Amino acid sequence: MAAPRALLIGYGNTLRGDDAIGPLAVERLRGLLPEAECVSCHQLGPELAGQMAAFDLVLFLDASCDGAPGTVNLERLWPDAGRAASLTHHVHPAALLELTQTLYGHAPQAMLITGVGAAFENHQGLSEAAVRAIVEICRIAPRLVQSFPSLW
Amino acid sequence: MPTITIDPITRIEGHSKVTIQLDENGDVQGARFHVTQVRGFEKLCEGRPFTEMPALMARICGICPTSHLLASSKACDDIMAVRIPETAEKLRRIMNMAQITQSHALSFFYLSAPDFLLGMDADPEERNIMGVVRKFPQMARDGIKLRQFGQRVLETLGGKRVHPGWIVPGGVSHPLQAEQRDAILAEIPEALRITRSALQWFKGQIENFRAEVRSFANFPSMFLAMANDTNEFSAYNGWLRFVDSNLNIVADHITGTDYQNYIGESCNDDSYLKSTYFKPLGLADGMYRVGPLARLNMCQSAGTAQADEELAEFRELERHSVLSSFYYHYARLIEILFSVERMETLLNDPEILGKNVRAHASPNNFEGVGILEAPRGTLIHHYKIDQNGLIESANMVIATGHNNLAINHGVLQVARQFVKSKKLEQGMLNRVEAVVRAFDPCLSCSTHAAGEMALDIQLIAADGEVVDRMRR
Repeated sequence: MAAPRALLIGYGNTLRGDDAIGPLAVERLRGLLPEAECVSCHQLGPELAGQMAAFDLVLFLDASCDGAPGTVNLERLWPDAGRAASLTHHVHPAALLELTQTLYGHAPQAMLITGVGAAFENHQGLSEAAVRAIVEICRIAPRLVQSFPSLW
Repeated sequence: MPTITIDPITRIEGHSKVTIQLDENGDVQGARFHVTQVRGFEKLCEGRPFTEMPALMARICGICPTSHLLASSKACDDIMAVRIPETAEKLRRIMNMAQITQSHALSFFYLSAPDFLLGMDADPEERNIMGVVRKFPQMARDGIKLRQFGQRVLETLGGKRVHPGWIVPGGVSHPLQAEQRDAILAEIPEALRITRSALQWFKGQIENFRAEVRSFANFPSMFLAMANDTNEFSAYNGWLRFVDSNLNIVADHITGTDYQNYIGESCNDDSYLKSTYFKPLGLADGMYRVGPLARLNMCQSAGTAQADEELAEFRELERHSVLSSFYYHYARLIEILFSVERMETLLNDPEILGKNVRAHASPNNFEGVGILEAPRGTLIHHYKIDQNGLIESANMVIATGHNNLAINHGVLQVARQFVKSKKLEQGMLNRVEAVVRAFDPCLSCSTHAAGEMALDIQLIAADGEVVDRMRR
């Protein structure tokens, strides 16, 4: 069976400490998943919808302050019209899926992977917890891609 | 006095509110546009090396970082007293055109299209970008694609869509590669198709918005924009010119050394946004407008074939200058067309792949001013440095500040036209917001803050009682 067409989107502000978990994780995953397309960005925007429509699955990589620092949470996502009213600031990945489905007739399967950080002040550099979270994300993400679609 | 407060205004960049004061009879007596956020970039950069300013100032806003990057770099060029290499100037112009394209596409397709496509009186639950996506998917796809084109140019040249680097004091940091140029050129025909299609569509809709054309900040005012010897559209090089509503020149050849003789800035008690005015006439009479409407009124030609055709048609709207701020939307589309055509011309110039893209120098002046036409209008960065090249003071005059008096005047005009009772109605509320939106204000840099808009309108009676309020 052909490898799934996978898109990895890491997003966050690299000048706000652990908020860089998503962009930094996706940079590491470029080497670990050469067959996947990797995008690093400051924030999600509607422009990603056209790109997403061409993939079987999308992994959104983000930082979180919800939970024990260093841990990683997974959340399965589906298109959500309720989250899609604004689409300017604070675009939720489920809103992007809704936009992709509505405009292009296909939304990929999607998972949100969040690494829990500890320090989000204005600075560059990761906390020890964020480093642990990135290591864990880089362990989980390839498995999610490789197990698609059987274990999804 | 009864007052209606709209707080926050939606679908603009930043946080603001509107208050509308009613008299004893319930008629609109006054209206004010308040910006409720502050950031303070001018202060926090003091003490930093001037060479850091472009990268630092780009952080002022996520929508127009490129404009600040360019204006800041021009101010630093002035401090170093260098003439940047021709290739670097052309590359900077491409960045400016890409910035205008992506910002105008955001304003037209994402923020204002819901009003045009779904109607000013449509249910606010539906009158948003998803409403457009559901009912007019081709228009939505086009809007996304056009903005994506502008962002891709910024990313190709500057390394990132948001907060790109690359533009530095003295030029740009590295040359353009042939494959990058070819990749951008390959996307230009589609960008032109989308823009022409949107223009055709919008021109066909104007008749449906006659009330808005009449009342959306439609009044005589001066206009300010960059000018040059050829009187062609100018967004990067030139001097500043004020014209009156009949397009007579009021002040001309204003440069970085004397702009403060003509442009005054006034602080307001009820807003973090300064009001900028034409100094010789004072705050009370010195209102003017900047941005797409001002630029198209000011120039005699765009300088590109398709945009010139559209400009000729645009000029037929009114006898002298086009005065209704509703036409800012129309002007934005023409400016996108011009920008894409101009990018194509610049990219096809053999010099664009030149390797000499940066001039190096130590500071030669203690003061520098950079002036640029940003998407929303004239942008000025003015720095003073000490003997060590550290910033002593910075002043930024932002497009939304230039337009503040006109926005306030426009809000009052719309309120008088549409607010007819002490009871708030959605259509009325949206039109008050929409006149603000026509100017496409960006409050992140103009006050110097960031965030998203919401809406809160209060209707306040003559005795101070809040008689009605709407929030979202």
